Amino acid sequence: MDVSLCWRPPAWTVGEKRMRTAPTLRRLLSALTLLHVMVQVNSQKRGALRDLKCTTNNLQVWDCAWKAPLGAGHGTVNEVCIDDRLHSCYPLEKGNVKIPALPPGDHEVIVNYLHGFNGSSAKFILNEQNVSLIPNTPEILTLSADFSTSTLYLTWDDRSCAFAHHSKVTWEIKVLRTPRMELINLVTFNTTLNGRDTVHYWRWTSDLPLQCATHYVGIRCYLDHLHFAGPKEWSAWSPLMNISWAPESEAKAFPQDKVVLVGSNITFCCVSQTKVLSGQIGKTFYPLIHLYGQNVAIHIQNISVSENSGTNVVFMIEDNVCGTVVFAGYPPDVPQKLNCETHDLKDIICNWNPGRPTGLVGPRNTNYTLLDSFSGKSVTFKRFETLTNESYQLLFQMPPHQEIYNLTLTARNPLGQSESAILVNITERVCPHTPTSLKVKDINSTVVTLSWHLPGNFARINLVCQIEIWKPNSKQELQNITIKGVENSSYLVVVDKLNPYTTYTFRIRCSTEPFWKWSKWSSGKRHLTTEAIPSKGPDTWREWSSDGRNLIIYWKPLPISEANGKILSYNVSCSSHEEVQSMSEILDPQHRAELQLVKDDYIISVVAKNSAGPSPPSRIASMEIPNDDLTVEQAVGLGKKIRLSWPPDPNVTCDYVIKWCNSSRSEPCLMDWKKVPSNSTEAVIESDQFRPGVRYNFFLYGCRSQGYQLLRSIIGYIEELAPIVAPNFTVEDTSADSILVRWEDIPVEELRGFLRGYLFYFQKGERDTPKMRSLETGHSDIKVKNITDTSQKTLRIADLQGKTSYRLVLRAYTDGGLGPEKSMFVVTKENSVGLIIAILIPVAVAVIVGVVTSTLCYRKREWIKETFYPDIPNPENCKALQFQKSVCEGSNALKTLEMNPCTPNDVEVLETRSIIPKIEDTEIISPVAERPEEISEAEPENHVVVSYCPPIIEEEIANPAADDAGGTSQVVYIDVQSMCQPQARPEDEQDIDPIVGAGYKPQMRLPINSAVEETAAENDADSTAGYRPQANVNTWNLVSPDSPRSTDSNSEIVSFGSPCSVNSRQFLIPPKDDDSPKSNGGAWSFTNFFQNKPND
Amino acid sequence: MSQREGNLEDDAQADTPISLLPHLEAKIRQTHSLAHLLSKYAEQLLEEYVQHQGDPFGLPGFSPPRLPVAGLSAPAAGHTGLSLPERLRLDAAALEALPALLDVVRRRQAELNPRAPRLLRCLEDAALQARALGAALDTVLAALGAAAPGPRPPPPAAAAAANSAAGVFSAKVLGLHVCSLYGEWVSRTEGDLGQLVPGGPA
Repeated sequence: MDVSLCWRPPAWTVGEKRMRTAPTLRRLLSALTLLHVMVQVNSQKRGALRDLKCTTNNLQVWDCAWKAPLGAGHGTVNEVCIDDRLHSCYPLEKGNVKIPALPPGDHEVIVNYLHGFNGSSAKFILNEQNVSLIPNTPEILTLSADFSTSTLYLTWDDRSCAFAHHSKVTWEIKVLRTPRMELINLVTFNTTLNGRDTVHYWRWTSDLPLQCATHYVGIRCYLDHLHFAGPKEWSAWSPLMNISWAPESEAKAFPQDKVVLVGSNITFCCVSQTKVLSGQIGKTFYPLIHLYGQNVAIHIQNISVSENSGTNVVFMIEDNVCGTVVFAGYPPDVPQKLNCETHDLKDIICNWNPGRPTGLVGPRNTNYTLLDSFSGKSVTFKRFETLTNESYQLLFQMPPHQEIYNLTLTARNPLGQSESAILVNITERVCPHTPTSLKVKDINSTVVTLSWHLPGNFARINLVCQIEIWKPNSKQELQNITIKGVENSSYLVVVDKLNPYTTYTFRIRCSTEPFWKWSKWSSGKRHLTTEAIPSKGPDTWREWSSDGRNLIIYWKPLPISEANGKILSYNVSCSSHEEVQSMSEILDPQHRAELQLVKDDYIISVVAKNSAGPSPPSRIASMEIPNDDLTVEQAVGLGKKIRLSWPPDPNVTCDYVIKWCNSSRSEPCLMDWKKVPSNSTEAVIESDQFRPGVRYNFFLYGCRSQGYQLLRSIIGYIEELAPIVAPNFTVEDTSADSILVRWEDIPVEELRGFLRGYLFYFQKGERDTPKMRSLETGHSDIKVKNITDTSQKTLRIADLQGKTSYRLVLRAYTDGGLGPEKSMFVVTKENSVGLIIAILIPVAVAVIVGVVTSTLCYRKREWIKETFYPDIPNPENCKALQFQKSVCEGSNALKTLEMNPCTPNDVEVLETRSIIPKIEDTEIISPVAERPEEISEAEPENHVVVSYCPPIIEEEIANPAADDAGGTSQVVYIDVQSMCQPQARPEDEQDIDPIVGAGYKPQMRLPINSAVEETAAENDADSTAGYRPQANVNTWNLVSPDSPRSTDSNSEIVSFGSPCSVNSRQFLIPPKDDDSPKSNGGAWSFTNFFQNKPND
Repeated sequence: MSQREGNLEDDAQADTPISLLPHLEAKIRQTHSLAHLLSKYAEQLLEEYVQHQGDPFGLPGFSPPRLPVAGLSAPAAGHTGLSLPERLRLDAAALEALPALLDVVRRRQAELNPRAPRLLRCLEDAALQARALGAALDTVLAALGAAAPGPRPPPPAAAAAANSAAGVFSAKVLGLHVCSLYGEWVSRTEGDLGQLVPGGPA
């Protein structure tokens, strides 16, 4: 409930007054009761008046009324007199009388009766305490309504309570609502009468839209007069006035487009002529509250924040829809982080953060007003769209000459307002604009002026500006300057201590005093300062030409810090004691000059010139003092530097000069030089031109009064690398057990470091061997010789094997690593002495054995004859041998030897299945007869008789069926000549068991044919070397001619059985026919005979 | 069908759609294509519009009655029974009224949904496109000799402004109707023009 200020009721209410005044009322009621009792008693005594009551509404006139005594009719009263000083009487017309207010105290009132009661009178005592104060009924002047806000406006005046003196009045207003005229609001508030007719206002906002039902309003008052002793009562209620909505033909929902606080409770209604079916807020349906007629309402509690377009409230009617939109949001938050500053002392810019979003947009969005209480000026910020967490900004135009501002920012929306204030001295809150139009102007080669434009009126304050000066390859420099602010925004400062002919980049930013904020940096401005004369002469050096006639003068271009400009040319001149010879100008890109001098004692002077003038001259003596005690030293750098040191030399008076060049360059060679003071004993040489693996020559010169003397010559590397080539080497000599190798030096360019030695590898190996072992694997068959004497250029490798291929590898190495390898294959020569010895010794032994044997045989020939060939007596002459024929025919055992001439053509195999051997070939008679004792010791059923066979043997293939006869022994006789050719291959020969192979074997390889022999002799030289068995022993004992092995086409070995071995005499003395094996086979040699190992 | 063709012959002075002049045929095709394109845009506009109005707009069961929109009526049920020139004239009249209504809707939506630039852009584009389609249709009608005999009444700008003063809910419903009408009239125009396009529906 809102009441205007003039109507604001006091803190206490009527109810409270009732509670406070209850004792007084009780006392008044008690007094009235007592009065009534007294009147009744008096009337009963003397025709007392009935129901006497006195009231007043203005404290001026008392209005008393009573009922006539019993039996008295109207018109019986004549007058009423008051027993006071005046004894005034008042005619009495009706049942009441108006008398002026009496003073405090009891007053006797006499009522005179003209008729009846026999002219008697009635008396009673009247006191102010017996008079009730009842104000007049107040009148409502107007009752109006604002339907959009559901607010009732009520006006009335206090005319009915008009008193000449001040009194407090309590007003009570009631609001009733159809259809049941229920009291929905009863409010009171107090006013004070001021003696004038005053109109009072009251407004009230309904929770139910006023359109939804008819509202009635009534009012009454209560006068609280302090000096009135009588009872006080409420006035009567004024007549009710109502507010009603004229319903339209279409249904309509209320309130329309209301903005409410989030979380509040709100009622919506639909005024309709037809039945409303449902009501919903958003998508949620709510129960309908029937008002009157077809009007309904829905009530929502704790409404949540709406979306931008609001929350839709929709009532569905039978054939229509009525709806409204409610906007639930928040009042504006207190503006946060309010900050006000100026860029130019013309406008104040205030920024703030709106804080919590209100949830309201568009026309319901928050308006901001910035007010300066000192100047009274204000600006307003309003826009429909609000972005979350956006910083707001307002521009406030500064009044002239005002520095201090009390700024209040007020935020308002339909739900409320908030504010934030700030008191600022704006001259202390200056953040200047970015300086613009930066210009640089030369004063001289080291001084320039900077000018720029800074918008704003800073005439009352000082500016502090920071100038950033930057030049290439240098750290930026900052200079702070303080300048007085000006009104026209143009500023100018001088910057000095610059370098001539240097490109600078300037930029600037400014702040104010006291410091608040820097402005942004201006854009950079590049400027090239003007030239000045070179500060120094160029660094010079000289070299005599190789023929010693010309002197070449070198000088280095001046650094930019010393050139002070663009060097245009150089003047070179030479002078001696007698003359000064001037040279012509040499233009800049050239930094050398060659002088033809007749003497070697000159002073050379070089002057650099730019547009500003010449530099001081640089002088250097041409004479080179010889040094006989000069050695060449070595040095290796570290990183990209190389350190050179030398002992102090007191004779050096000027300085030391170290010059260096690439050693591969031809003389005179000069890459660069460096001058160090005469008191130095070391120098670190560093150059971008240095490359790893390149040999440089460094020369240390000492400057004396007469000239320069070469003190040291140093060769060095910045970094040593491995050689990139292998040394070229050749085999100078080869013998059966040694090789002499000679190699050449590696060129310096390819050596890439100081040579530390050679590594010489050698191993057995053939050129065509598919894969040689790597040298780094460290196999034992690879022998290495490390040659650390770099002057050595030959190497003899001894203890080699004759006629063996060796692979030789030579590599050079430096501290940078091993170089690549170069290899060569060499075959040692054959050992001829051994061969000769191997031939001669057996021959000699054989001869000696032969001679001794012959001698012994000759001397013992008789004994031998008698022992081995005794004279055989003629059997015909032996009588004892003339046996009876019959006797001889009956026994095998007694069979006599028949000396038939032997025709050794066939070998008969006899199976002794019976005691009497079956002789299949009757033409052959075995000359061998076995003794009966031997027979008895032999197997009885397998008796073999073998006849002696000469070399001509006829082969008879055994019956294959006979193989299966396990108990049958068989002997196969094969042509010995063909069988005994050992055609085993070397690898087969390796498998021969030497034990099994005991006994004599042929000592030569027996080729199958000549062609194969030749090929094998070349390819299998190694495999044929040394001793080897001469036959496959297995075939002797195990293999029969028809066994699979014997027929193996790959094995040309011809096996023969043991019977053949007894006939193998022919191997001792091989026949001289062509098919016999030759001892001088291609792969067999006597040298191999002496080798212990196959590979050796 | 025959009646419509007869009317076309009489009113548009054309024998058949196939015999239209090439440039007129091209114009009809172009206008038809534009109408076809705008009918798609109108669907997107309606979808975008409903999306920003909050519940129950867009809910399946919510269908506010079609209150009359000042200056623009929905295509009548008997629209198809009219002659083709008459239908085209009605189409042109509706397209002439639509831009002002769409502008009113856009202004209200700018207050309600200032953070919905896409919706606002769609509404602005729709007004321009309706105006362009109406102009193109007028050109076709003029070429066919079927233009309205007298000047059309001015667009219902005042009425639309009056509508804009109503409550937010009414404005939302009005916008919904306007967007729906825009789609309906563009689709209707597309259909009507389709009968003029050679090879189109007879």
